[in-house]
Amino acid sequence: METPYSRIVVAGCGNPLYADDGFGPAVVESLKGFELPENVTVVDAGLGGPHFVFTLLNPESTKTLIIVDIADFGGEPGELRWLAVEELPVGSYRDIHSWDLTEPLQYIKDDIRVRVLACQKKYVSAPEMVIGITDEVQRAIPDAVSEILKEIWMDYGTA
Amino acid sequence: MTKVVEISPTTRHEGHSKLTLKVNDQGIVERGDWLSITPVRGIEKLAIGKTMDQVPKIASRVCGVCPIAHTLAGIEAMEASIGCEIPKDAKLLRVILHAANRLHSHALHNILILPDFYVPGTETKFNPFAKEQPFRSVAVRIFRIREIAQTIGAVAGGEAIHPSNPRVGGMYRNVSPKAKQKMADLAKEGLVLAHEQMEFMLEVIRNMQNREFTEVAGKQIPIPRTLGYHNQGVMATAPMYGSSSLDEKPMWDITRWRETRPWDWYMGEVTIDLEDPSYPIGGTTKAGTKANPRIEACNTVPTYDGQPVEVGPRARLANFKNFTEKGTFAQHIARQMEYPDCCYTILKCLDNLDTSGKVLADHIPQGDGSMGWAANEAPRGTDVHLTRVKDGRVLYYEMLVPTTWNLPTCSRGLTGAPWQIAEMVIRAYDPCVSCATHMIVTDEKNRMVAQKLIQW
Repeated sequence: METPYSRIVVAGCGNPLYADDGFGPAVVESLKGFELPENVTVVDAGLGGPHFVFTLLNPESTKTLIIVDIADFGGEPGELRWLAVEELPVGSYRDIHSWDLTEPLQYIKDDIRVRVLACQKKYVSAPEMVIGITDEVQRAIPDAVSEILKEIWMDYGTA
Repeated sequence: MTKVVEISPTTRHEGHSKLTLKVNDQGIVERGDWLSITPVRGIEKLAIGKTMDQVPKIASRVCGVCPIAHTLAGIEAMEASIGCEIPKDAKLLRVILHAANRLHSHALHNILILPDFYVPGTETKFNPFAKEQPFRSVAVRIFRIREIAQTIGAVAGGEAIHPSNPRVGGMYRNVSPKAKQKMADLAKEGLVLAHEQMEFMLEVIRNMQNREFTEVAGKQIPIPRTLGYHNQGVMATAPMYGSSSLDEKPMWDITRWRETRPWDWYMGEVTIDLEDPSYPIGGTTKAGTKANPRIEACNTVPTYDGQPVEVGPRARLANFKNFTEKGTFAQHIARQMEYPDCCYTILKCLDNLDTSGKVLADHIPQGDGSMGWAANEAPRGTDVHLTRVKDGRVLYYEMLVPTTWNLPTCSRGLTGAPWQIAEMVIRAYDPCVSCATHMIVTDEKNRMVAQKLIQW
């Protein structure tokens, strides 16, 4: 049975009400169609990244955290890139309590392997609500799923 | 002579809000306005034309703290509109999910308020992130309570954060006997921790209540005995779960609710003429700045029987458990007293849950456009969702979330507080401001156009 504090936690961050910001939850939705190892949790982390996700990690059992989100790293819309925690600009993740996620990620990265799969955004509508991911970012979802599956199986030593 | 000071934005809660305060020569608030400055979301308009299954999911994305409360209130509002009663075991799973949500939310709120409080018997304020004792053991206990609550939520609701299991007509699936046992084991562990955390917080809060002063920005600020008192009423629909218009005796009455524009309620343009650069996190707004709460407020002002009312733990305890204390500290105390009840509720529901029982209604009507509402007693208070569904599509949708009720009520409760601890007063409501942001109508020059009562 799935528990939130598995060996690998994949957290899709973002809000589907803000156009491309729905990328993380959309990737999570696709991943749920796959039969994953028992000790992998795929979670739609929504907008509450820091305060929700950090209670889903147990250093005694969680070895890898994969964050899936949009980013603006100057690439082509829909381009995927694995980012290291060190590459995340300060303040790039900020939750609703104005807590910065990049700082706690720095704290946990020595105990838990942190991987960030970023997708170059095209259009984020916030604060206006627009449902629907742009075509470019939508097309990146299968590749993102494939990247994460590779990462999961690599962690299990089978890739 | 009255001066105006402004704290913008306020901190350590969800969303963006601000305080515009008229104070006397002693710095005591004579009139306080607390308003949402979170950008308007317009969820009510976005919902129109969507299916009754889509809208609760959309509603749950309005903010990052209360997705479970909004999912459940949204779904039950749909069921109330279409006249669909759900199986007993589906209801039990929803109550479990709801209680787990309250448990983790209260624990999160402890993290947010603790830096205002002192370690009893010392002059040291809490730092919940410090590795030293006693802070570390408190943080670990809060962490474990939230982990337990989110795991129970994940099992009952399908996911820990955005629950996928609740659906119009019941739940997508029941849980296995093994899952039921796991939830019971976790709830029993959680119950022990909940009692410990409640006792700990009560000691910390009572200690603060007995102090004469607190330190803010290096200054000693007096703590009035009547901090946060107001003369408004309280509103709650249930000790734990809530009520809907499907109930035989609904605990909320739509005819007693009215909603007014902020124009009719908040103060007009003022000039800031008191500033304090030493106030935590960037100082207060600079003197000479203009403020206009009635234009800037992105929240509406709901009233019940013509007055703003308080919702939340104190309101629930006052309505259902004869709790008579008032004010900011009473709100904190009431919240802690709800800890064990979350675990007891989960255990009681599990006792009654038949894992082989059906969890989806045999027939799900598609609706004739009738008004339906559901009030979920979210961690922060009564979360009323109202809707009209016709042929499976939403014609009308409204979210009256806890902080919408509390923004004007708390504004009244600010009177008499030293302005430097006004943020302590609002934090006691555990505000969730993004959800409380609704539609305003302005023209191209940002002037308010619609000022009248909202019609529904």
